[in-house]
Amino acid sequence: MAMRQKLLAATIAAAAAVLPAQGRAQAEIKVGGIFDLTGVTGDVGKVFALGVEDAVAWLNENGGVNGKKVKLLAQDYAYKKDQAAAIYKRLVNDEKVLFIQGWGTGDTEALKEFVTQDRIPYFSGSFAAPISDPSKFPYNFFVAPTYSDQLRAWLEWVKKDWGAKPGNPKVAFMYGDNPYGRAPMNAGKAYAKERGIDVVDDEVLPGTFQDATSQLLTMKQKGVDYAYINVTTTGVSLVLRDAKKLGLAVKFGSNPYGFSESLVAVAGKDAEGVTGVMPDVPYGEPVPFMATLESVHRKMRPSERGDTMYVRGFSYVLVWSEALKRADKAGKLDGPGLKAALETFRDFSTGGLTQPITYTPTDHRPTTTTAIYQIQGGKLVKVAEYTMPRKPEWLGL
Amino acid sequence: MRCGDFRESYAEDMAIFDSALPRRLLALFLAGLVLLPAFATSYWLDVLNRIFIAIIAATGLNIVTGFTGLISLGTAAFLAVGGYATAALAGKAGLPFPVVIPLAGVVTAAVGLVFGIPSLRLKGLYLAVATLAAHYVVEFTVTHWESMTGGVNGISVPAPRLGPLALSDDRRIYFLILALLVGLTFFAKNLFRTKVGKAFVAIRDQDISAEVMGVTVFRYKLLAFAVSSFYIGVAGSLLAYQARIISPENFPITVAIDYLGMVIIGGLGSILGSIYGAVFITLLPELIRLANDLVAAHWPAAMGLLAPFKSIVFGLVVVLFLVFEPDGMAARWHHVKNYWKLYPFSY
Amino acid sequence: MEFLLQLVLNGIVTGSIYSLVALGFVVIYKSTGVLNFAQGEFMMLGAYVCLAFTVEYHLPFAAAFALTMAFMAVLGVLTERLVLRPMIGEPVISLIMVTLGLSAILRGVVQAIWSTDLRPFPAIFPTDPVQLGPLPVSQGYLYSTAGVALLLVVFTFFFKFTRAGVAMRATAFSQQVALSMGISVRRIFALAWSIAAVVSAIGGVLLAGVRGGLDAALALFGLKVIPVVILGGLDSIGGAILGGVIMGVLENLAGGYLDPLVGGGAKEVAPFIVLVAILTVKPYGLFGKVKIERV
Repeated sequence: MAMRQKLLAATIAAAAAVLPAQGRAQAEIKVGGIFDLTGVTGDVGKVFALGVEDAVAWLNENGGVNGKKVKLLAQDYAYKKDQAAAIYKRLVNDEKVLFIQGWGTGDTEALKEFVTQDRIPYFSGSFAAPISDPSKFPYNFFVAPTYSDQLRAWLEWVKKDWGAKPGNPKVAFMYGDNPYGRAPMNAGKAYAKERGIDVVDDEVLPGTFQDATSQLLTMKQKGVDYAYINVTTTGVSLVLRDAKKLGLAVKFGSNPYGFSESLVAVAGKDAEGVTGVMPDVPYGEPVPFMATLESVHRKMRPSERGDTMYVRGFSYVLVWSEALKRADKAGKLDGPGLKAALETFRDFSTGGLTQPITYTPTDHRPTTTTAIYQIQGGKLVKVAEYTMPRKPEWLGL
Repeated sequence: MRCGDFRESYAEDMAIFDSALPRRLLALFLAGLVLLPAFATSYWLDVLNRIFIAIIAATGLNIVTGFTGLISLGTAAFLAVGGYATAALAGKAGLPFPVVIPLAGVVTAAVGLVFGIPSLRLKGLYLAVATLAAHYVVEFTVTHWESMTGGVNGISVPAPRLGPLALSDDRRIYFLILALLVGLTFFAKNLFRTKVGKAFVAIRDQDISAEVMGVTVFRYKLLAFAVSSFYIGVAGSLLAYQARIISPENFPITVAIDYLGMVIIGGLGSILGSIYGAVFITLLPELIRLANDLVAAHWPAAMGLLAPFKSIVFGLVVVLFLVFEPDGMAARWHHVKNYWKLYPFSY
Repeated sequence: MEFLLQLVLNGIVTGSIYSLVALGFVVIYKSTGVLNFAQGEFMMLGAYVCLAFTVEYHLPFAAAFALTMAFMAVLGVLTERLVLRPMIGEPVISLIMVTLGLSAILRGVVQAIWSTDLRPFPAIFPTDPVQLGPLPVSQGYLYSTAGVALLLVVFTFFFKFTRAGVAMRATAFSQQVALSMGISVRRIFALAWSIAAVVSAIGGVLLAGVRGGLDAALALFGLKVIPVVILGGLDSIGGAILGGVIMGVLENLAGGYLDPLVGGGAKEVAPFIVLVAILTVKPYGLFGKVKIERV
């Protein structure tokens, strides 16, 4: 019994050793996609996923990666970490994908051990600062300034907006009780202290909350002037609505997943004057690549509203397809080869969709420049841009 | 197959298997399970591991709800306690798994004991809501006791370790989970042949008469909660070891509802029922996903429909089972078995 | 002081919506003995159907509302006939599970048809807040509180003085005796379910109208109903109303005073703890009928 088992196992092992080589020999690059289409961040996750899918289709129609086509194996994990883990295991062990386009903060951080062990480059939709530190997350990348840098940039805008008024501006942080929500809070508080801004209140917005009135009332009691909302667009619109009902005079700012054209559509008048950080330009902004992007969107999603999350998805594909091309030219189309290719990026341009992208082996922060936009008359208008210093002590924080 | 009933002694009457054939078939089946890792892909091993863990927890829930009649919505909370206890004992204290797993079970049993106290005064739905309160209290504790649990970020769990041996992937941990499953299932089966088990059943059927007959109802109710929580705690511990990371979002109230569905669909008050129910409910999302993948290959829009589809199918399955086979899959299995036992006779 | 008042007021107002949903729950329990865990999903479905009539078929709101009520009444009857009728006589836990299954089906259907995005809901009430002394209160909330108060009066009257209402109470007390008195138990069941469905739909539409947006998370309100009805007592209408308001106030007070101390999350857990405390003293809820057990 034992002998036969050993023989069987040996045969399987031999077969397994041959198979991956076979996979690489085909003219197709397999990419795993772990998206949130129906979970709590599905409002923005779905549009992002559409951007990625359409960009891959466009890529394949326009020469692919040096002639090779990219096959995106997309799955919905509904923002559940255990689902993400199960999908990851399937994609990497059974489908043998080259790298993964992931999404959420919690699951990206949770999969770190496996990703590093398996040497699978992992692009996350999450911009949490720890992920940008290659000493802890060597195979993780994302295409935006870190959440922390973006919050710091918004705080700079607060300082500017407060101007010469007496005293310090009073700021409140409203965030969801999850890794994405909490990610930039400590960095934000430290920076606020440095810049003479008083963070007087922390309000937690529970999972699928319907009503933020008690949180807003507490903020009113503490005399808050500005508030940063760190949940997705659905949650932001609810907060804005409740604030309007209470007649609150707080100026709201929102995070990169809580500020987009859909916020305007859903919150309507309540969103007027709200500022937000935007790592990608709004849909339709006159930058070089926008014409191509718009034509793809018009062809594939004619009934959908153009959205910055779609632009974001596209920008990711532009970044990793370029890295794939470089890795392929160097003859190293595998996990470590792709990582090395990414780390050769120096101010790589995504045609204006994002800031220029730079990765180095010791620093995976692609950029430290954040644009601040404001909703004026139902449109997203750029009002400021701040570049945070690339401080080594801020790496990972 | 034997047909008819002919017992000559008390031992024969209490036997689990009434002839040699079922015993041999079971042995063959278990041998098959042991050999499975040689053939299965890592994905299916992951599924099997999760099924085995679900069976252990479902058995636990069945002990308190099916056999003792105390509706408990605290399954998710107890899984969390078992998981976090494991993270603390294995991660922070660095203990080997033969110590950690039973200890996690004991910790969960203690917690279960505390939350079983309302059963002294409450019955039926009122008790269920008290256990629901347990769920929210545990959820709150876990999210806020950050030094111990890592809060919302969750906490990573090292692989089960015993000296130089580390069960670091699904293939290796499979054997541990299977061994515990077999052991615990047999224990549960035997529990209901003993005085304690029979006391549980008496409480379910008619607790006042049981009290009159000398069964200290409150003590046995607490014991039921403790034993059930031990099982669920062990399952939670294995869950932590298998997934290697746990966080509060692994334990929403829908988990407790799923487990309740497992024991009801499988069959309340039946160990075999827990097994059927756990296998079915755990396998259902995987089957739906497979179907969805097949459909999505031709019609991409279907991918977004996976989550609602899962919900609809789960709901339909629950409703249809309850309407057409209210005693669960185990009862259906017994009908079929008895039919063939007596074939070609009907009675 | 103003802070406290505002929290209490907000609590009363959200609590009134809880009461509405709890009302539907209690109506079903009182008449049929079934614990309907799909109440939240009925709410959500009602709101979505109303939205569909208003937005997709462009009907004026009053017509859409009336049609929604009709739809929900029919749905209630159908649910009773197809799902609950075969379950007569089954133990409590199976009934709970069947309604949980039903809730999963409804959730899935809504998500499949309308997806999970937040959809703007037509503002039924003027959006400017009204000043009650020092506190600005949204008009929508005032209307919904008034609506719930009205329904309380209507239902108390219904159960006490109308034939159908008394028949329902009789059926809840003993189906066999009711049958022998000539009451059509089948019709009573159908009536109970359609009332509950209509009442939850009203609650759903009110809630969505006040929020100005609708998404699938509305169904989660249903889970909150359970502690409310337990607090008030499973078979007491007054208890459901009072329980809802108490729960709403408790939540807001916990949110306002405890959240800053514990860093969030107290809003969810405090009501449950209070509930368990109350249950130890009054195991059948504040106004529930105490079951006298016979061996």
